[in-house]
Amino acid sequence: MAYHALTQARFFDGEQGLRLDVDLQVDTAAETLRITHPDLPMGSQYWPLWAVRALSDHAREDQMILTLLADSALDSSLIMTARLTVDDPALITILTRLCPDLRKKDVARGTYRRVLTWTGGAVGALALMIFVILPAMANTLAAYIPIEREVAWGKTVVGGMERFLGGSGAGSLVCRNDDGVDALNAMTRRLTEGQDLEYELTIAVFDHPMVNAFAAPGGHVVLMRGLLAKADSPDEVAAVLGHEIGHVESRDVTRNALRSAGSAGLLSLVLGDFAGGGAAVLIAEWTLNASYTREAEAAADVFALEMLDASGTDAGGMADFFDKIAELQRKEGARSMPAFLASHPDSHARAHAARAFAENQSYGTTPILTKREWAALQNICKD
Amino acid sequence: MSAQIQGRYFGKGAPLFKLYFITAIFTVLTLGIYRFWAKTRIRKYIWSSVTGDDDSFEYTGTGLEKFLGFLVAIVVLAIYLGIFQLLLTFIGFSVIPQDNSPQAIAGQAAAINLSILAVVPLMLFAQYRARRYKMARTRWRGIRFGMENGAWGYVARALAYFVLVILTLGILNPLATFKLEKYMADRGWYGDGKFEQMGRWQDLYKGMKHVFIGIGLLIASGVLFAIGAPEEQLSLLILGGIGVFVAYFWLLIGLVYYRVYAFNYLTRHKVLDGQVTFDAQLETSTVIAKVIVGSIVIAVLMGVIFAVIAGVGAAVFAGAGATGELGAGSIVGGIVVVILYAAAFLVAGGLSLVMITQPIIEHAVNSITVFNSDHLDTIRQRSADSFADADGFADALDVGGAI
Repeated sequence: MAYHALTQARFFDGEQGLRLDVDLQVDTAAETLRITHPDLPMGSQYWPLWAVRALSDHAREDQMILTLLADSALDSSLIMTARLTVDDPALITILTRLCPDLRKKDVARGTYRRVLTWTGGAVGALALMIFVILPAMANTLAAYIPIEREVAWGKTVVGGMERFLGGSGAGSLVCRNDDGVDALNAMTRRLTEGQDLEYELTIAVFDHPMVNAFAAPGGHVVLMRGLLAKADSPDEVAAVLGHEIGHVESRDVTRNALRSAGSAGLLSLVLGDFAGGGAAVLIAEWTLNASYTREAEAAADVFALEMLDASGTDAGGMADFFDKIAELQRKEGARSMPAFLASHPDSHARAHAARAFAENQSYGTTPILTKREWAALQNICKD
Repeated sequence: MSAQIQGRYFGKGAPLFKLYFITAIFTVLTLGIYRFWAKTRIRKYIWSSVTGDDDSFEYTGTGLEKFLGFLVAIVVLAIYLGIFQLLLTFIGFSVIPQDNSPQAIAGQAAAINLSILAVVPLMLFAQYRARRYKMARTRWRGIRFGMENGAWGYVARALAYFVLVILTLGILNPLATFKLEKYMADRGWYGDGKFEQMGRWQDLYKGMKHVFIGIGLLIASGVLFAIGAPEEQLSLLILGGIGVFVAYFWLLIGLVYYRVYAFNYLTRHKVLDGQVTFDAQLETSTVIAKVIVGSIVIAVLMGVIFAVIAGVGAAVFAGAGATGELGAGSIVGGIVVVILYAAAFLVAGGLSLVMITQPIIEHAVNSITVFNSDHLDTIRQRSADSFADADGFADALDVGGAI
């Protein structure tokens, strides 16, 4: 019994739209499927069972559509254009048993290399875009933004920050105690004396308990009351101020805004739209941003150290302050955040670098403010 | 003798939902990369559910092809959009005042609109390419469909018609619908048989009637408000309020009615190879009923699912609160909640495919008749089209739609 019973099936030769109602027979000895119809060339076709493939994800469970393995793929998987629709459940069972690779997904030779080449090319092009072209463009273009625009924009940023921190509007959080402001100005004057700064600095203290400071575009620097309270000496505050002036001078905020305008849309394009896709974009953007910020932070540290040195201020203040930040982070558990995700470099490392610098400060240093000035600065938020 | 073929749809909810859910999980596990294979598999299922004369349609695209096409599209788009957005932001900072003056706000709004407008031609391009790709990867009786290249011509025409429609306050919408469909349909092929879109664009005005009634109601309500407000006539204001409410729904349904009407009309006036004609009997009421019923079922199911997840979450965090610290158990519990939450979104996507999209496709397919179908026997095969970009632009710009 080399033959299974004859059944009917529908055959399309892949060349014409005409349907042929053919006879099908499985020859188990020759391991072929014989397709017979008077209109076929020579009256019949023989399909070797090892080369028979069934179409995948076919909706109809009562039928199976067969085709043959091909040498090359034109517009589909590696299969021929001829199709054979089988409705007979008995034959479907037999074919499922006898055809060894019925469900196999054949892949053309060289496919993996093609995928790797294309993926590599795309990743390379995107990396070039995100890490080289966009930052370079941002750096170049940032210099062309007129300073008065930057100053106006910085004002909006500072005002927005005040609202974000709970203030009622622009200027509502700024501390204005006269003696305190004088002390702050004295500190700024001594730090910037002899320095060739591009921006006119606008320095303010916000009445807020957070231990923080930030720079906004166009020469704006803001210190928080919490930071003044945390500091034990004016030199510590001077270190922070120098650091923020470093950000101002290198236009970090402006450059970052331009760069992320370019890369934000690009990332969401790549990661696409699936469950959790939005979160993935956020994480990617944050990581990217943090890596740029870390470089900028390191550069601002160097700037601050040089500024302290030039003004004859002890850089040890910076080291002390970073030790406090490290302590604070340890308490709050923020240190559990891996370094590549944290926007600021490791505080211990920064303290260490500052201390090393301080030891090499060759000549004598003097405190940046007198005791009285320092007291006034600490009370800047008291009316 | 003129034979005819009635379209029939064989797809079922359960297997499609299962396919969607499993492929969606793979998509999440592969950080989105599997989505090209997922979409391909779902297309294969839906295409193969459509039959004419008991011969199934076939989708021959592959996930790999889509993936590579996406890579091509992404590189092109990344360069275009990245540089464009950055330049636009730069111009925004340098030219537009950064304060709260009216000029500043107008300028910022213009910049945002400009950046959206920059993507519109690409989206139209993607739309045409996606239709062309799907046509080229569709077969029936082993014969390929196909579509000629003409994406940029489509972009130019579509932009021109959109401007025209906006300038005429929507009155010339039927012209745009007809001409754009004709542009695409006339470039379509089945084997060596060419499609042609016949008919007149003016005929589509009948389909606009409910849209016009809705707009009329809206204007009438506005007039009632205008009269009633200065004299504080409550009855007029209430009537106006009811009018706006009714007009809103009338307009919404009117738009569906127009789309269904246009689909039927355009299908009835298509001719293949000069001999084969078609009929479509889609019903607005059926389409709307399927959308409403589907939406209600999904809303109820999702409500239940999210309530259960919230319950699990509450239990987890209540446990944590009792011990006063986040133990290993509650962390695992938190992860479970996050996973359940993500899974619920996948379920929602699958349900909308199964409860709304597929039933409407089913209704459309079952309503289509092909006349003079004997002629289809004489159609010969056409050669394969290769696509470097597949429908990658549509994927990247998210204009692909549900399937």
